[in-house]
Amino acid sequence: MQLKLPPRTSPKQFDAALAAFARVVGKDWVLASDADRDAYSDIYAPGSAEPWASSAAVAPASVDEVRAIVRLANEHKVPLWPVSRGKNLGYGTAAPRMAGSVVLDLGRMNKIIELDARLAYAVLEPGVSFFDLYEEIQRQKLPLWLSVPGNAWGSVLGNAFEHGIGYTPYGLHARNLCGFEVVMPDGDLVRTGMGAMAGNHAWHLHPLSYGPTLDLAFTQSSLGVVTRAGLWLQPAPPSSLELVFDIPNEDDIGWVIDTIAPLKISGLVDQNVFIPSWLGKMVLKGQRADFWDKPSAIPEWRVAELLKQYKLGYWQVALRLYGDETVVKAKADIVKAAMARHLAAPPAEHWWHEGEPMNAIDTTMGVPSAVPLQMSDWVGGRGAHMGFSPVVPATSEHVLGQLKRSRKIIADHDVDFYASFTIGGRFATNINMLMYDRDQPAQIDNIKKLFNALIAGTAQAGYGEYRTHLGWMDTVMDTYDFNGHALRRLNEKIKDALDPNGVIAPGKQGVWPSAYRAHAKEGRA
Amino acid sequence: MKRLILGVALTLVPAAVVLADPPPLPPYQMRASAPAGDRLAVGRDGKALFENHCGYCHLTFGMGTNLLMKQRLAIGAPPQSALLANRDDLTADYVKGVVRMGKGAMPQQTRVDLTDAELASVAAYLGRGK
Repeated sequence: MQLKLPPRTSPKQFDAALAAFARVVGKDWVLASDADRDAYSDIYAPGSAEPWASSAAVAPASVDEVRAIVRLANEHKVPLWPVSRGKNLGYGTAAPRMAGSVVLDLGRMNKIIELDARLAYAVLEPGVSFFDLYEEIQRQKLPLWLSVPGNAWGSVLGNAFEHGIGYTPYGLHARNLCGFEVVMPDGDLVRTGMGAMAGNHAWHLHPLSYGPTLDLAFTQSSLGVVTRAGLWLQPAPPSSLELVFDIPNEDDIGWVIDTIAPLKISGLVDQNVFIPSWLGKMVLKGQRADFWDKPSAIPEWRVAELLKQYKLGYWQVALRLYGDETVVKAKADIVKAAMARHLAAPPAEHWWHEGEPMNAIDTTMGVPSAVPLQMSDWVGGRGAHMGFSPVVPATSEHVLGQLKRSRKIIADHDVDFYASFTIGGRFATNINMLMYDRDQPAQIDNIKKLFNALIAGTAQAGYGEYRTHLGWMDTVMDTYDFNGHALRRLNEKIKDALDPNGVIAPGKQGVWPSAYRAHAKEGRA
Repeated sequence: MKRLILGVALTLVPAAVVLADPPPLPPYQMRASAPAGDRLAVGRDGKALFENHCGYCHLTFGMGTNLLMKQRLAIGAPPQSALLANRDDLTADYVKGVVRMGKGAMPQQTRVDLTDAELASVAAYLGRGK
């Protein structure tokens, strides 16, 4: 990785900034060797990681150290890129949007400040991983469950700040956040919600502020560095039932959505229902070359053979119900009757009761795992993935329209189709996994073209992405175009008012401070 | 063949039995706590550090163990050698190189993930006796 300094910063000025940081955190926590820069690069980068190269990293251990670093960043005009644990795989890992930024790694701030089983919430620092929190709950034998993403190696708060999703009743993770502590771009310290009153007892319980509620303005955001937040947790249910339906055909997703979404909206189903296509199961069975040995997309006839051989439906619905057994049974009868109107085969039923063992990789029970990342081995070599993730209304018209559109674009680029729809309520999140070998330049070039085509075609049809990789943050922000990109203009007005030197996360989600706006054209994939 | 590999992988997991109390979780979901002490100090417990910092993936049924299982079986090595702690052919320098540079699907680790002093302890533990 080439050494790229922050814009307009001389080597001497850069060294002075690092020396100042070292006086705050200690020299061992300023990480500025070539190996360090490599370690903070995007390990799943589509092609070279250099467009998003950091110049160094600094790792504070306390909120006071964060405040001191932010003040010094202003003094030395050195931009920071805050990360909680830096495991945002598929979206840029720990790497900054603007090359030359210094990664502000909050991984050492990993205290579980509060864990309250009575009101079912935790107060966390950003460095706490899903494993850390899960294990602490088990050690204390508390009746609390997590909602986890596919990669539980990462930060609980970081995932929620990036609007990550899980597959439990608490699956819209940003909605579980309640009450933030934030270091502002000038080094000031703010507490949101009821925490704005010193010593307030309801900080992490009442989700609104007196006056404007700013909490979510600090998610997918460059307006401050969140140093702690409250997080609501699911009370452990006494029982749970998984109903597994294999859905035979591609177009069946239409009736599946029209059957389940109303149950979710009514509250009968409280889980975020994850519906992956068949390839989601195949990636755990081996490598692509074991099933199709050509670089071209796996053809329809071979897909049909594989589904038959491995007894897979085109889609799978693993719907989970939670609560008292009598209630779960009653809900299950309603779900099964609704599905039976379209599907003759009854679901497989898997009961769980308090005290029984859990499936070691069951994300629908909040068990943390990194096993879903095994998909990076599917293509072989230095395998990697990106997610193309638009959000659509949870109706058959919108879901089938999105499916056909993205399938055609993906097929036109001769790439395997691997998608999921997660019913989150009135909307479904459609994640299209695009897998590639980082050492195959032609493959990467094709994936980049495909990604651009997907963004353009999807936006033209009236849908946007909820999250994206560094290299497309601006491209996606460009698609939010109402009234001459009024949302971006508002974001940038606020950014410039709060962060005149643009030191916090310039370019995050396509929002650029005036100090670095000229760099917005760089680093686009 | 695939079925066989999956079967072997599962034999590493304790058989699921219904007990009055919850049984122990698979090791990678209940790692050892990080050993106490200054993260920059040399000579801390390499085994405990390995289990805490690398256990996400490299204890039984972790992602790294699953992927290594396939690689080890493919070269005729016994399944238990998918667990790094069971390997007798690793060297400390090799461990350091893989941790800092990554390997295949394994991402490189930063010095916040694992400090140089911690890596030295882990490398000595995994490369012990060689």
